[in-house]
Amino acid sequence: MRLTICDFTKTFDRTTVIKDMNLVVEDGEMLALLGPSGCGKSTTLFAVAGIHRVDGGAILFGKRDVSHLPSQKRNVGVVFQNYALYPHMTVFDNIAFPLTIRREGKADIDRKVRAIAELAHIGDLLARRPSQLSGGQQQRVALARALVRQPDVLLLDEPLANLDARLRLEMRSEIRRIQMETGITSILVTHDQVEAMSMCDRIAIMDQGAIRQVATPSEMYRQPASRFVAGFLGNPPIVFLDGEVTGDGGFASRGVSLPLPGRLRHLEAGRPISLGIRPEHVGTSGGARVSGQVVFVEPQGRETLFDIELEGGAILRSIQPAGDDARVGDRVDWAVDSDRLLVFDRHGNAV
Amino acid sequence: MPFQRYLLGLGFLSPALLVLAGLFLMPVALTGIIAFTNMSISTGVSGGAHVITGNLLTGLRDDGVEPAALDRLAETVFEVTPEALARARAAGVDPAFVADIEERLVGRRFTDGRAFERELKGLPHRPRAIRDLKVAADLFGASILNTRFADAAAARQAVVGVLPDAPEATVDRIVAASYTGWQWTTGNFARLLSSPDTLRLIVNTVFYVAATLSFTVFVGLFLAIGTFYLPPATAGVFSVLWLLPRLTPVVLYAVMWKWFTWEGGFVYTAAEALGLPAFNYMKGSVPTAWTIVILVNGFIGASFSMILFSSALKAIPIQQLWASEVDGASRWQQVRYIVLPQLRWPILFVVSYQTLSLLSSYQEIWLTTNGGPGRTTSVWALESFNTALNNYTGDLQYGLGAAMAVMLVVVGVTLSVIYLRLFRFDDLVGRPKIEF
Ligand SMILES: Nc1ncnc2c1ncn2[C@@H]1O[C@H](COP(=O)(O)OP(=O)(O)OP(=O)(O)O)[C@@H](O)[C@H]1O
Ligand SMILES: [Mg+2]
Repeated sequence: MRLTICDFTKTFDRTTVIKDMNLVVEDGEMLALLGPSGCGKSTTLFAVAGIHRVDGGAILFGKRDVSHLPSQKRNVGVVFQNYALYPHMTVFDNIAFPLTIRREGKADIDRKVRAIAELAHIGDLLARRPSQLSGGQQQRVALARALVRQPDVLLLDEPLANLDARLRLEMRSEIRRIQMETGITSILVTHDQVEAMSMCDRIAIMDQGAIRQVATPSEMYRQPASRFVAGFLGNPPIVFLDGEVTGDGGFASRGVSLPLPGRLRHLEAGRPISLGIRPEHVGTSGGARVSGQVVFVEPQGRETLFDIELEGGAILRSIQPAGDDARVGDRVDWAVDSDRLLVFDRHGNAV
Repeated sequence: MPFQRYLLGLGFLSPALLVLAGLFLMPVALTGIIAFTNMSISTGVSGGAHVITGNLLTGLRDDGVEPAALDRLAETVFEVTPEALARARAAGVDPAFVADIEERLVGRRFTDGRAFERELKGLPHRPRAIRDLKVAADLFGASILNTRFADAAAARQAVVGVLPDAPEATVDRIVAASYTGWQWTTGNFARLLSSPDTLRLIVNTVFYVAATLSFTVFVGLFLAIGTFYLPPATAGVFSVLWLLPRLTPVVLYAVMWKWFTWEGGFVYTAAEALGLPAFNYMKGSVPTAWTIVILVNGFIGASFSMILFSSALKAIPIQQLWASEVDGASRWQQVRYIVLPQLRWPILFVVSYQTLSLLSSYQEIWLTTNGGPGRTTSVWALESFNTALNNYTGDLQYGLGAAMAVMLVVVGVTLSVIYLRLFRFDDLVGRPKIEF
């Protein structure tokens, strides 16, 4: 079911947390709501779930306006960050709860709960209490409980935040698998870009209560709409250099001069811009070159991360396949893939 | 060294141990001991003497002691002895008349007062007035009845003096029964078991505890859940208001209830204005007296349980409540399936704690209805207190009162065990979170 958030505004005690937000999640799509802490991700999610009241705008499930329906009537499944399992009930009763409330038949409930538990790989844990489960198992129970009544929309609020790195990796693909199998329109709230990129069809980047860009993961990585988005995505993060356009369609800043990507050669000289240089575009291949001194080396196993200080004092970051070619203090002269450089204007918008 | 450290530790502990022993263990042990005696205000708490009283004889007759012997014990014997003569002189009887008696009747013994009086009438210096004669005659009379004997031997000697040919067993029985000090006995319990008052008291107590407890739990739950769903500021005001019964000193609280319900009080005036029967609702009728007793105690309990339930409610993560709403639960279903089950432990605590404290508390009843009208709202603890320590006839029966207190303790302990079983206490508490 297609989910539409239209001019949504949310105010807590006279502080407007979200203003005129617009977002569409297509039928069967999994969309990541990505943003820094406190930007309003949970607030948006809870408004969709009906936990928070909408102060302005509308929320539509398909063509149905649910803005003023209580959460009981919205048929959404929510997985909370701390799972919010009912501690006094067994796993079976936890998953069955939405059905029990609807007074479905015992046999029906049993069949549905077992089916969804199979799907979430927790079929043998049904008799346990939440306190007797590991974090990952609790997470699956919460997911099963959210899915069991076939919700129109599935909402996941940082479902992996409490898991360790390994389990997170495993659950990422599990959740995605279950979502694809059930085909339920979903929103995944996260502040982890890897999670967002690996699990979702599209990403909506949020900052300070507003959506900055909605795009597929690769599109967003390659063509960020703003400096904020470019800075938010990518690990190790992108480096920005502030400077201006030179006469020959290049860029100059504090002793660094680089050619602009081919499509931007026509920019008028003297215009202040900032250049975004991703670490993977420095030191491997490309038409332009920079030289400087290695000031920092961080081996990361398969790859190695370098910081190099250019003549003017600017620091560039480079990530390269591991090898022991440069050490701290070495002078290097590395290639830069100038066609992949990102260019932003004074207001941080992509040029 | 370690030994000295132990001593030091004990030294530091000793004041606490003394206080514990003196203030807690001693009273409990003493109550247990006194329960098995017949101590009362008339036996005193130290030793006693031997006295044969009219009541004692009646009792013995009921117990099947030969009536003839008992009649003889009750008789007055008139004997002209030097002591009796001295007594008569000292009492101001005409010396000439006394001299007559001494001369003619010394050493004589009469078991019949009339015969002695007849003898006296025949004496030359007898007084004119029959009354004076009777007074003089009485001075020679002596009865074993109501005479104090310091010990059993003296009492036995006196009894044998009157009943020289009574069987040994009868004498023993009379001497033993005449003891006025306290004795070891299980009679208190036998009496409690057989008395019809006991059943009525039990019914009263069970009703009192059950009704007050229900009020406490239900009103406490209602308030806690109600304030939980209210905006914080409003909830705060309500909480404080409902805490007042708990915060007010009990005497003041009882006095306020009296003002509230007595003639001319609020309830009285309101009832009058509404055309309802206006009377002293606290003492005027049994149903209203019970209502007041239950409300007086119930409000105190409710404010206590409200605090407990409220804090337990606040411990439920808000996400659980959200989750249940998203899962489709209405407010009522949320309370029923999510909130109440998680209040099981505080509810168990309130029920068991309040049962025990209600069973043993009587001060609020004592200060309000004092068990009235009649003894209709009296409960076991109040009756025990009245029996042992606060009887307006002044006949304090320490032994019986202690026996009642002991039975209360036994019932309390049994109930706690049952509660713990019933609510699967170990299951609730669960395994320790930290393993040793
Ligand atoms: N109940 C509330 N009352 C007042 N302000 C609130 C309330 N809930 C959230 N806020 C504010 O709204 C803003 C957005 O909160 P929200 O919980 O949506 O952030 P988030 O994006 O989910 O952050 P995180 O990643 O840390 O969970 C924050 O600045 C927060 O302080
Ligand atoms: Mg959040």
